[in-house]
Amino acid sequence: MKRDFKMRLTKNDKKDLDKFTKFLALKATEVIVQSRLGEKVSTPCKPHANGPDWFNLNINDLPEVVIEAKKVLNSELLLTRKFPFCIEISLRTAEGDNMVLETWCARLLPEQCDPSTTNSQTIYNRMGILLKSLVSVTRVTPAYKLSRRQGPDSYVMCYRMYMDEPLHHCLGEGSKQIRVGQICTPIGTLQLSCAYRTKMTISPTQTSRDNSIMLKSDHFNTNLSPKNRRYSQSDDRTSSLSETMKIGAFADRKKKHFEEPQLDLPFCTFFADRISLNDHQVDSEPQSLATSPENDRLSGNGVPEESPLRGEGEKNGNDVAVEGGKQQEEVSMASTGDDFIMVDLKTPFAKPSGEKMELTKFFREWQQAPLLETFKDLPPVEVTDLQKQLETYESDMQEFDSIVSSFCQQSSPNNN
Amino acid sequence: MNARSQVFELTLEGRQADEAVTSLFHTVLFHRCLGKFLYTNESSYSVSTVGFTDVDCDFIDLTYVCCSSNSLARTVKQEVSNFSEQLRSNESSGMGQISLEFFQKKPSRYLFLQPECIPWEVWTVRLQLITLDNELERQECREKVGNHLTEKIVYITEVMNRQDYLPKMPSRSEVDLVFDTSFVDVQPYLFKFNYSITGPSSGTSVGSTMRKFIKESFNL
Repeated sequence: MKRDFKMRLTKNDKKDLDKFTKFLALKATEVIVQSRLGEKVSTPCKPHANGPDWFNLNINDLPEVVIEAKKVLNSELLLTRKFPFCIEISLRTAEGDNMVLETWCARLLPEQCDPSTTNSQTIYNRMGILLKSLVSVTRVTPAYKLSRRQGPDSYVMCYRMYMDEPLHHCLGEGSKQIRVGQICTPIGTLQLSCAYRTKMTISPTQTSRDNSIMLKSDHFNTNLSPKNRRYSQSDDRTSSLSETMKIGAFADRKKKHFEEPQLDLPFCTFFADRISLNDHQVDSEPQSLATSPENDRLSGNGVPEESPLRGEGEKNGNDVAVEGGKQQEEVSMASTGDDFIMVDLKTPFAKPSGEKMELTKFFREWQQAPLLETFKDLPPVEVTDLQKQLETYESDMQEFDSIVSSFCQQSSPNNN
Repeated sequence: MNARSQVFELTLEGRQADEAVTSLFHTVLFHRCLGKFLYTNESSYSVSTVGFTDVDCDFIDLTYVCCSSNSLARTVKQEVSNFSEQLRSNESSGMGQISLEFFQKKPSRYLFLQPECIPWEVWTVRLQLITLDNELERQECREKVGNHLTEKIVYITEVMNRQDYLPKMPSRSEVDLVFDTSFVDVQPYLFKFNYSITGPSSGTSVGSTMRKFIKESFNL
């Protein structure tokens, strides 16, 4: 049946069909490539044009695309080829990584032919519809949105044409396929389809064509990357820092030990902890930090900047501890709150030891100004204030409620 | 003859309604528009070129393609706006549907009667409006509706490439029975819009369904 029909297909019809198919492939290439340039396309209607455009559709011709497409098609007709014609769209990052996003594929299925369609004009019109479908579909695949956001600093879109079976494995796992459309012709069904990537995570080892190059390169070896190195180098410090933060001023275990003479010594818990850690005596004698000869030795040698701090703190601490009582405890709690995490207080370019550090001293003095005699006997101000405030708030409760409800009323019409 | 019928259902925010319907109808019309026919004699003609334009939606993550015809775009916009205004009005229950119907005219046997309109393809979009509370939900809805419309646009192209019935290319004297020649730059198949809004009280009662059924039977 098929053979009979093919014989009935006139030479002219066959020639027309060949020509239509070739131009369909060329125009489809233009549509696909231009849709990935990153710009909106707008071509005018030409109601009074002299010569008709192919498929009565105004598709711009980019010369370089035509040249590339013709190279691949190479004046050989799509119909005589066994292999499909593919256009591959890929993304190339500024770093040079490639990721294939989609493969558009035009193929002829000779086994499915339609002997009834002999009119070449009908085929031509259907090709026009197929091209329109292609224009519509190119705007809705994921690569379109990516192409609109491309730039030389981030990534650019690239295209490649080839005559072969489409390389679907390049599209990664979970790739999807769209059948744009097909045209039944006397010599077979012409089919246009697109397979596209759905997982957009770029992974150099996955997408690189030549794995050996990537394997040689240590650039992507996470163990050797500078970022990782930096972290591994600072591992000790971060762990010690986190330890210090964990055993903070509010930790119950430590609180008891530091309540007495060093309460007003800001950050004293931090220093104490560091010392204890270094000394492997976390729980043994933190209480004796300020006075024990062991800690003196450590402050003098290992952590030189702590020695002046300790002296200052001790002085202030004595003053306060004798005079203050409960109130002072609050002061110290506030000063060692979460707002500050100062571990080392090592000023840049400071001399390592011996001399007192002016900046640190100044900071301590400023923060730990001694309480003036006048205010010692006053009742705690905060308590009375709080009570008063609570009372006023309670009395004004209705007013607050009305304000809130008025806000609700105002916002609800806007939502609609 | 029965008309082919396609129905799309969408749930979206009121402000997305116009763009959602327009994107689908323009995709359909892009496929159903030819260039202007320039007849050289009664039966032979040449066809002019149709241009196309990319349109980015404001409230949906979507770009669609339409014919580069301002007059056609105006017509579609006007009809869709009328529908969406009613749909979004306070009297509406937030449910409604709009159809794009392609038809051809058949001259009446009696001269004094209007030509009969025979639909051959109907595209219906049913909308249900929702209200969203915050920007996060809006962003999700924006993407979700974009994905739904993508599926529907792909489906439209699939339908367009089936070798289904299309009216025959007419001779010069009959061109107005098949095509709408009122546009200066494009020549779509004859089309019209119908829409209906479901009122808050009526719902879908048996009576209204029957009325609709009978009405449609007479139309077809």
